[in-house]
Amino acid sequence: MVQLTTLDWVWIVLYLLLMVGCGLLFYRLGKRSEADFFLAGRGLPWWLPATSVYATHTATDTPMWVTGVVYQHGLRGLWYTFFSAWCAISAFVSARIFRRSLAYSQAEWQSVRFSGLGSELLRGWMAGWMVFMNMFILGWVGIAMGKLCHLVFGWPDWVGLVFFSTVCAIYVLAAGYWGVVMADFQQGVIAFIAILIVSLWGIVEAGGPQHIVSKLHAMGEGWRANPFAFTGLFSGDFPIAWFVTMLIIAIIGGFGMGTAIDWYVEAQRIQSARTVRDAAYSIWWGTLLVLMRNALWAAAILGFYVLYPNIPDRAQYELGWYRLGLEFLPTGLLGFFLAAIVAIHLSTVASHLNLGAVYATRDLYHHYVNPNASERELVWAGRISTLLVLIGSFFYGLMMEEITKWLIFALWIMAAGVWLPNILQVVWWRFNAWGYLIAWIANLGLSWLIVWVLPAFGVLPHLPDYVQFWILMGVGALIYVPVTYATPPEDMRQLVRYYVMSRPIGWWGPVRAEAERLGVIAPRNVTRHSLFKRDWSAEEAEEWTREDWITILISPLAYMAMMLGVALALLRMWSGVLLLGAGILLTVAMHRIIDPKLKAISAEYEKKQKAYLEELDKIIRWEGVR
Amino acid sequence: MNEGLSVLIGLSIAYVASFLGMLFAYIAYRRRQRERASARKEDRHA
Repeated sequence: MVQLTTLDWVWIVLYLLLMVGCGLLFYRLGKRSEADFFLAGRGLPWWLPATSVYATHTATDTPMWVTGVVYQHGLRGLWYTFFSAWCAISAFVSARIFRRSLAYSQAEWQSVRFSGLGSELLRGWMAGWMVFMNMFILGWVGIAMGKLCHLVFGWPDWVGLVFFSTVCAIYVLAAGYWGVVMADFQQGVIAFIAILIVSLWGIVEAGGPQHIVSKLHAMGEGWRANPFAFTGLFSGDFPIAWFVTMLIIAIIGGFGMGTAIDWYVEAQRIQSARTVRDAAYSIWWGTLLVLMRNALWAAAILGFYVLYPNIPDRAQYELGWYRLGLEFLPTGLLGFFLAAIVAIHLSTVASHLNLGAVYATRDLYHHYVNPNASERELVWAGRISTLLVLIGSFFYGLMMEEITKWLIFALWIMAAGVWLPNILQVVWWRFNAWGYLIAWIANLGLSWLIVWVLPAFGVLPHLPDYVQFWILMGVGALIYVPVTYATPPEDMRQLVRYYVMSRPIGWWGPVRAEAERLGVIAPRNVTRHSLFKRDWSAEEAEEWTREDWITILISPLAYMAMMLGVALALLRMWSGVLLLGAGILLTVAMHRIIDPKLKAISAEYEKKQKAYLEELDKIIRWEGVR
Repeated sequence: MNEGLSVLIGLSIAYVASFLGMLFAYIAYRRRQRERASARKEDRHA
């Protein structure tokens, strides 16, 4: 237990009052409509959803997980956290396409992209999955908070889970996504300041940057400061094959939708942004903050390693970053640190409460039960769904604690089978609802077979996870590709409508030709221009051009350079300063190249948005092309 | 609880929730199809 002074308690109580007050402040905005309760009226500037992306992905268990991989692997452990770099490409490709669909949720997008019974089954499947997933994630982070409260205050585990989730539910129930995103902004700022203070404090307590590096060398563990300390091509605990697989999953995954569990959280932020440009920047900058946060933690954890080397028990060393704060921060500041922990917890809980309610309300209630519901009814349905997701999360947190550990692993493995279909649904016109649905369902059996059953019977050896990923991807394709070709393509009218609205990247030739034949879009006509075009006509900006491909190339490099640059620069290594400089230059160059085009796309799209929203309402009410 | 059983229960809940969502969608789709068919029939009679 930690001894807190009055000042420490003042920090915590003030912070909780601020959050609940925030909910009450935005109550009037949240209750106006379904779009307000779940998307803040689709009018947010990019920096608000960006902070929300960052705050949501900073949960109470996140520093424990990052500490675990960095304590075990040194700076190369940062690559485990690099999966969030899917936003590097997604921000400028799939986020742009998804924002233009205007779908509230990933489930709703299925009925914009696909048609007929297949699209409805997919929508129902995904809505059910996401209601469960959000309860599950809430239970998992909630019980992590319960355990932390037990460590700090000596409370039973359930008290921390129920108390903080309930406080959070007050402002989510009152103001919906308005409350979530406004509180996330404050929480994100508080959390980033606290992470900065604790990490720098930890580095100083460990003797400073140079001492940490020299001590690691003296211990014969200088490799820990090298993010590229591979153990071989296929051998050891950090082979190049794993690294390459992870980079492909993260970076190429950005072309697809739903390629990571995080996608679903980002989808809501993308739709809440006021323009296509704001949507792109919201997830790009939100993820950059996540990567820089990880780098801050990583440098501090090397300091923790120098202070407390060779702790054998993972559960013990995973608390490393928390210990730096709890053991070394002076009285008074400790309360701020604890308020920041509450902040990172509430931001995650609030987001998942509201996100789970999106799927329950928009997809299950509004579309399937009451397509003609009034805005007032929908807001109330949103509140009731939020409450049900909260109660479900208590069940998972208290009863399923043991299961969650393994479910996380299993979910990752299952993602392998749908990783490629998630990309194909975006880039290939012929991929249909049946192919995508069968990919999800087949993965249920295949992941069990390849990960658990066949190794248990000695048919397959216990394979490294990156090998399992490739096998699952290949075997899954043997099922969904034939199913796609054996079933008819989607209705061409639906595809043309989707194409004109979203302008997807990839292989859409027949749909494009049909759209041109119908006269709904003009033939491709991008005038030759100097290296990077700055004045875009509306029609030119709609096409995928050299500027997009250069951005796709630069963006992941900028992320890598910034992440490694921050970590190495904090350890006062010259390579870090150079990488950080390169990262800043790449970021500036990328924005100079793509920003004029994004502005032109946004201006043109805003003119059509009202008509597209009316089409979306028709789908909700089962009208129009089905 | 043993590892295999934990995963079995956890994943089963996830998939039951998804199948229920799909069932819900199927029932709603069939109902709309029936409504449309009867509306078309009424139009023809009119």
